[in-house]
Amino acid sequence: MAPIDGTYDYDLAVLGGGSGGLACAKEAINQGAKVAVLDFVTPSPQGTKWGLGGTCVNVGCIPKKLMHQAALLGEAIHEAVAYGWQVPSVDQVKINWSSLTEAVQNHIKSVNWVTRVDLREKKIEYINGLGSFKDPHTIIATLKNGSQKELTAKNIVIAVGGRPHYPDIPGAKEYCISSDDIFSLSNPPGKTLVVGAGYIGLECAGFLNSLGYSSTVLVRSVPLRGFDQQMAGMITSEMEEKGVKFHHRCIPVSVEKLETGQLRARWLNTETKEQGEDIFDTVLLATGRYALTEQLNLKAAGVNVLSENGKVVAETEQTNVPHIYAVGDVLEGRPELTPVAIHAGRLLARRMFGGASQLMDYDNVATTVFTPLEYGCVGLSEEQATQRYGADNLEVYHAFYKPTEFFIPQRNIRNCYLKAVALREAPQKILGLHFVGPVAGEVIQGFAAAVKCGITMEQLVNTVGIHPTVAEEFTRLNITKRSGKDPNPASCCS
Amino acid sequence: MNGVMLSQGLRSPMRHLAGLRRAKAISTSIVHNETIFVKNNDEFVNKVMNNDKPVIVNFHAEWCEPCKILTPKLKELIEPLNNLDLAVVDVEDNAELVHTFEVKAVPAVIAIRNGLIVDKFIGLVDADMINNLIDRMSGKKKDGA
Repeated sequence: MAPIDGTYDYDLAVLGGGSGGLACAKEAINQGAKVAVLDFVTPSPQGTKWGLGGTCVNVGCIPKKLMHQAALLGEAIHEAVAYGWQVPSVDQVKINWSSLTEAVQNHIKSVNWVTRVDLREKKIEYINGLGSFKDPHTIIATLKNGSQKELTAKNIVIAVGGRPHYPDIPGAKEYCISSDDIFSLSNPPGKTLVVGAGYIGLECAGFLNSLGYSSTVLVRSVPLRGFDQQMAGMITSEMEEKGVKFHHRCIPVSVEKLETGQLRARWLNTETKEQGEDIFDTVLLATGRYALTEQLNLKAAGVNVLSENGKVVAETEQTNVPHIYAVGDVLEGRPELTPVAIHAGRLLARRMFGGASQLMDYDNVATTVFTPLEYGCVGLSEEQATQRYGADNLEVYHAFYKPTEFFIPQRNIRNCYLKAVALREAPQKILGLHFVGPVAGEVIQGFAAAVKCGITMEQLVNTVGIHPTVAEEFTRLNITKRSGKDPNPASCCS
Repeated sequence: MNGVMLSQGLRSPMRHLAGLRRAKAISTSIVHNETIFVKNNDEFVNKVMNNDKPVIVNFHAEWCEPCKILTPKLKELIEPLNNLDLAVVDVEDNAELVHTFEVKAVPAVIAIRNGLIVDKFIGLVDADMINNLIDRMSGKKKDGA
């Protein structure tokens, strides 16, 4: 296929074969462009690498959800007994870590393969090399064997995403693992310390604990910083009630390896100045991710719009160099989510080659934290809404609820809670919806479309619920925080 | 499965391979009936396209659970036969063949006779279908119906 513009090798070169990069490349091909995708995975400090598809497919959303599901199934086996299932030796039911990781990795490999086949079918050139700029229109791809390949492109999209950040403490790189490694760990993780209480840390601690691996979490400031803190508190309460230990206001100090092969981790409580330590089999660092912009040699391209944390500042995905764009996790101030990257990548390709003008709407993007009891949300947190509009102009409706299925196995309902943050003035436009409970992701998705349509409390409470579900609780909201009334349910159905 | 596949026999990507078959006039003398593990295009042309006997070509992947069931089953059924061969193509090692035969999912089984595709199925099918295909290809049953 000849490029539309004959001056360059390609109409579009995409750096990064992940969610954003591939979506952009595939849409560009649809628009008739000649496209090349560069993808390369630098091995993690522990040596882990993976195939085409980016973080989501290999070390993110997909394996995470599979392990979350494995954890839930483990819990379900025990609950089944209450429902009458005769499970022999239910107390001896254990997870086989190798079987789990093998099944997860097999699935990932199948996705890697389908991705490669898809690129081939669509005639997108795939180069397994690390890309960097030689000049604004020239990219050098360094392949695994060290050889280099040069290519020129009329347009370039930076979609290199990010990788886990390692704190600068002794033993971090030598002995600790990250989310890059956990999903293919060759030995069962055993007793684990998770450093970091963002969603990655909490999700990992959550499923590890449910799989039977005792977990401890070090929280530097607050859990799920940036998320609604009341909901974050519910999540961590639930995890604590399930046996996960939390050390608040603690930062890691060092990790050393003992003769037994186990690790001694030391931490410092920044408030009390007390030191703590314990022995673990695994230390998993989840202290944030950084954008992979440094290795791009952006200077050679003339791109100078990096933020303090190395991310690309590009309101409409376009950098200061008109033909160089960025999409996905590498962007500053945008949700680091696969569907965001995919959607933005597609719209970008349509603007580049299809004459379209639609920009990506980054507002009201729904998301879910897949801790064993999930937290789904869309729109503003209560804190954000309060800051933007003032508490007097808001009305927050809330309720605790009891999922029908929880009664028989006597599952904990203390943290099953939801709230709607709305403008106080009629018709009370909804600014944010928050839900902690089972299948929160499934519950919130539909409401995300409603929020996009500008749903109001009046419309929500006039929506008839589906019974018995947990999602219907949104249609039953009627108690406001302001009223001070008890948000605990009296009974079901009335 | 049905006659539709016959017409796909000489579509353009196959033409190249079929052309190679005419160009090389070697007779294959595979004395033993071991499964052919295809490592590259040349091996495919020599041992599958240029094979006097019909060949069942099994596209296989190590990460594919159904493949781990189907491939051993095919070996078990075909190895004893001396008028039908089995070729296993690992999709990770043979990207071009995957592309040529438009394999989009595994396991995929393509039956080849005289360099033409005469049948194809995708996914793990039941024992009856497999036995049926083998019987047809090894001449125990009449083709097409």
